[in-house]
Amino acid sequence: MSSRNATTAHNTDTAAVQEGPLTLALPKGRLFDQVQDFFLKKGLHFKFESRKLVAHDESGLLKIFLVKNADLPTYVHHGIAGLGICGEDVLFEEGKRFFRLRKFDFGSTSMCLAAKKGYTAPKKSRSLTVATKFPKFTLDYFHRRGHPIELIKLNGSVELAPILGLAPYIVDLVETGSTLKANNLEVVEVLQTIVVQLIANPSYYKLNYRRINQLLDMLNSHSKEERE
Amino acid sequence: MTDSKKRYLQVPQGTEGVHVEEAYRHRRITQELLDQFVLWGYLPVETPVFDFYDIYEPLLHSTSRDVYRLIDREGDLLMLRSDITLFLAKQMGLWLREEELPARVCYGDTILRHQNVEDISKNEFFQIGAELIGKAGEPADLELLMLLSEIFSKLGLHPAVHLGSHQFLTTCLTELSDTELNRAVTFIRDRRDDSLRELLESKLSSRKTEVLTTLFSFIGTPREFERTVYSLGGELSQLELEELEYLSSLAEQLVELGFSPDLRIDLSEIGAQPYYTGIVFQAYLPGLDDAIASGGRYDKLLERFGFECPSVGFSMLLRKIEDLVDSSIGRLPKITKVEGAAFKEAFHRAQELRKKGEVAIL
Repeated sequence: MSSRNATTAHNTDTAAVQEGPLTLALPKGRLFDQVQDFFLKKGLHFKFESRKLVAHDESGLLKIFLVKNADLPTYVHHGIAGLGICGEDVLFEEGKRFFRLRKFDFGSTSMCLAAKKGYTAPKKSRSLTVATKFPKFTLDYFHRRGHPIELIKLNGSVELAPILGLAPYIVDLVETGSTLKANNLEVVEVLQTIVVQLIANPSYYKLNYRRINQLLDMLNSHSKEERE
Repeated sequence: MTDSKKRYLQVPQGTEGVHVEEAYRHRRITQELLDQFVLWGYLPVETPVFDFYDIYEPLLHSTSRDVYRLIDREGDLLMLRSDITLFLAKQMGLWLREEELPARVCYGDTILRHQNVEDISKNEFFQIGAELIGKAGEPADLELLMLLSEIFSKLGLHPAVHLGSHQFLTTCLTELSDTELNRAVTFIRDRRDDSLRELLESKLSSRKTEVLTTLFSFIGTPREFERTVYSLGGELSQLELEELEYLSSLAEQLVELGFSPDLRIDLSEIGAQPYYTGIVFQAYLPGLDDAIASGGRYDKLLERFGFECPSVGFSMLLRKIEDLVDSSIGRLPKITKVEGAAFKEAFHRAQELRKKGEVAIL
């Protein structure tokens, strides 16, 4: 038996715990500024130098990676980042298992079925042709309701599909509705509210639960500024 | 490389070849563990590579999509071995007799599962484990967990073992329907405390909801667990309390016996498989994206194969941890090349070296 096994450490977080700061992946784009502001209010200050994709918060608690939104679950799934903050939309598409530790009040959007203005709600008996960037969510949503659909996967500018005649309906994230409006489209049905979540790799959480719970306490606390 | 060679060298997803030094090390580590199992009286069993699919189908749940299926010449649907525990349960049902209990068995073999091309995190091709069949209660649970501890010590690994109870879950959530219980299991396992609270509130009092949500999100040392149970115990039924006290007692004895991994009581460990009935545990190591070993008590699993008896066991996916195993295990021996002599002379010199246990080539 090696010497490190000769001693036991039942009441302390020792050998099985990873040292160093907690690793957190944040998405580039619309969510980043909101996360940064929220963390600042809770006393966690960080900023990325120009073109840098890795930063530390000033207290040394967190090492933060900036990654593409859709890639974020992949980094957390493989444990490269133990924690991550992203919308439920990308979690649906990835389909992997994460701990969902906390919801955030900011960044919520809606996953909507939309069509050209004047379109009526689709009849359940007829197959629905839908263009979307979110094929898993869309298939799952309509199949669970017994509604047959034909799916067209697009990678962006989904609003073009009804205009150009590719598909009469789209499923997409709607934040303010201004993009839909500008393209003469309207929401037919709000399918689900999409919330921003703090996720964790299950194994990472189990090994670092104390420090992660401390982080959660910080995020749940009300700062002096907020109390006032 | 020619086009035809490129075509021949393509490897299907979910397969793995292991070569020379790595294969040598893999076999030595496997042998080391099997030797250890035998020292504890756990004798090896070999399971078939394939079996009829339909008998396992109800036990597969979400993993059914990862199973390779094939049709034999008679038209029966078969499946390749994707989880040795399941195949072993049937074998034990076929083979065991009442008078042979308790039986101690171990295994170490390849498993075959579909693996998503975009997900290399579950490279799981080799499963090794042990089962104690026909023995219920604390002595059996202790024996199995101490064997797991011994295995980690042998490998030079110091993981965290999180111990929970499926029995506590089924004892305290009797008021939930099957569908609600399945949802609760998901919320507990994924640590979605808010969703769990919301679900329990619809069935239980607000105080009971709070107590159970606190307990299911609890992770801590055995001492911290005792304190938590002490402070919340007044809200629990006698049966619920007994389950938690059983975990405390088990943990206390494990510590006394010198359990080497860091032990945590973790009531969110309720088992991914529905066949668990008692204790459940998983082991975690830093740097790995998933649990390295898992196990627990499954007193009803063998019943499905016509043999009613309690059982407790664990398995680990060895390939993922081999790089972390103590480097002294499975180190390739020094190879001496006998040179500068006629073949006959060199052959005899090599034989002399081999007699001394050295590796010699000509």
